[in-house]
Amino acid sequence: MANPFNLPMMGRSLRNLLSRPATRRYPSEVRPHFAGTRGTLEFDLDTCVFCGLCARRCPTVALTCSREDRFFAIEQLRCIACGVCIDLCNKDSLRMSEDAPHVHLHTGAAPGDPRPGHQEWHQQPPDGSPPVPGDAAGGTATAAV
Amino acid sequence: MKRTTIPFGPQHPVLPEPLVLDLILEDEKVIDAIPTIGYIHRGLEALVESVEYTEFGYVVERICGICSFMHGMGYAVAMEEIMAVEVPERARWLRLIWAEMSRIHSHLLWLGLGADAFGFENLFMHCWRTREEVLDIFEKTTGGRIIFSVNRIGGVRRDISDTELAAIVTKLQQLGASFTETARIFETDPSIRHRLSGVGILSREDAHAVDAVGPMARASGIRMDTRLTGTHLYDRLDFEPVLETAGDCLARVVVRVREISQSIDLIRQAVDRMPKAEGAPIEVKVRGLPTGEVFERLEQPRGEVVYYIKANGTKYLERFRARTPTFANIPAMIKLVKGCDLADVPNIIMTIDPCISCTER
Ligand code: SF4
Ligand code: SF4
Repeated sequence: MANPFNLPMMGRSLRNLLSRPATRRYPSEVRPHFAGTRGTLEFDLDTCVFCGLCARRCPTVALTCSREDRFFAIEQLRCIACGVCIDLCNKDSLRMSEDAPHVHLHTGAAPGDPRPGHQEWHQQPPDGSPPVPGDAAGGTATAAV
Repeated sequence: MKRTTIPFGPQHPVLPEPLVLDLILEDEKVIDAIPTIGYIHRGLEALVESVEYTEFGYVVERICGICSFMHGMGYAVAMEEIMAVEVPERARWLRLIWAEMSRIHSHLLWLGLGADAFGFENLFMHCWRTREEVLDIFEKTTGGRIIFSVNRIGGVRRDISDTELAAIVTKLQQLGASFTETARIFETDPSIRHRLSGVGILSREDAHAVDAVGPMARASGIRMDTRLTGTHLYDRLDFEPVLETAGDCLARVVVRVREISQSIDLIRQAVDRMPKAEGAPIEVKVRGLPTGEVFERLEQPRGEVVYYIKANGTKYLERFRARTPTFANIPAMIKLVKGCDLADVPNIIMTIDPCISCTER
């Protein structure tokens, strides 16, 4: 029978009692993410040339790109943050923000829209058609996050 | 004597994942155990028919959240073999370093769960706190904590700078030094010894007979470790597997505790011996379609994993199969459970380090 007075955990437990907690008081105290953390995919409408390379190679088919309609969409709930699209894009239009992805609680952009996590961008064609009012970038972005 | 059947699982406080054992008892003694698996079968192997081989690596990683790096690495290495790709040396060293780090974090996770299973919640917290530091290193170097997406056929996608590698070694050595106290608790605490010592003894002969793998076999004194084959650059390191001879639950715990320090040392050796070639290529472009078949073996934290891949010259592989270590250890677990007390069943199941997600895929 082992010696019942041999308590190797005791010293550690007493020290813990007197020391600061090892945990953070989340959410008031948030640990910053490291540089290079793969968080949420972000898109920049101004630089994208709608080549569609990213959409073709995304393993989860999370991207939609249409050159004719100057249209780009991300399904954030399909994206697995692998970063393949970012490596491929020659125009640096895609980047990964370090923030954790949003929790997509809404069922869609509008009531009845069944696409939580859907984000889309439309660029006005440079053929003189009227820009969308109040949008300096000449495009519109709709996000359902 | 009258026999009673007690269903153990799929929901049981000690089980992190669903596994069912129908325990047939006579009084308090288990005389037979009938396992059932299949509760979390996701059909990942069949997905290979509809996901292109270049993208299937992301599926393979998701077989299991703990060995995700090793699964991704195993798939990449196997595909590289089929396609006869020469991977840059730096990528192979980085893979080895990440693989050993996965072993550390897996063993720490398991030690925590094990401590919880034998009623030592304080120790559970300590192990997981230590594990958190390893996950931080993963997040810094790969961008992910659990799913790393860093392996690609032909190499790895992120480099680690030489200064950062040195910093990682220092950090892991500090972690190892602070872990020695926890390790001592696992090895010497009387309540742990009382609970585990002499329980669920798997003799060396039995371990051979039921084909136990990994720490399970090494705790029974079998010198078996895929790393001994010297593949994946392990031949450049001084490596001798941790062996115990008692074969009981305590021996399995002790093997894992020591393997943590061993992995830290292997990472130190790897960083010392890898060429200081920051900026050297870490991947090669892979072109063409794979044809042929291959077996690939790796030593995962739980034991040896075997991949079988058959490619038929199209974008889609014909067959992908992973024989995971837990699957190999289930016969050993059944053997141990027979004849033990009902109260020891949770400990025996935990000490094989079951990973049911891997097993069912
Ligand atoms: S690869 Fe870049 S430029 Fe091409 S469509 Fe995607 S985001 Fe736009
Ligand atoms: S990060 Fe990966 S999954 Fe997400 S959109 Fe890009 S390629 Fe697709």
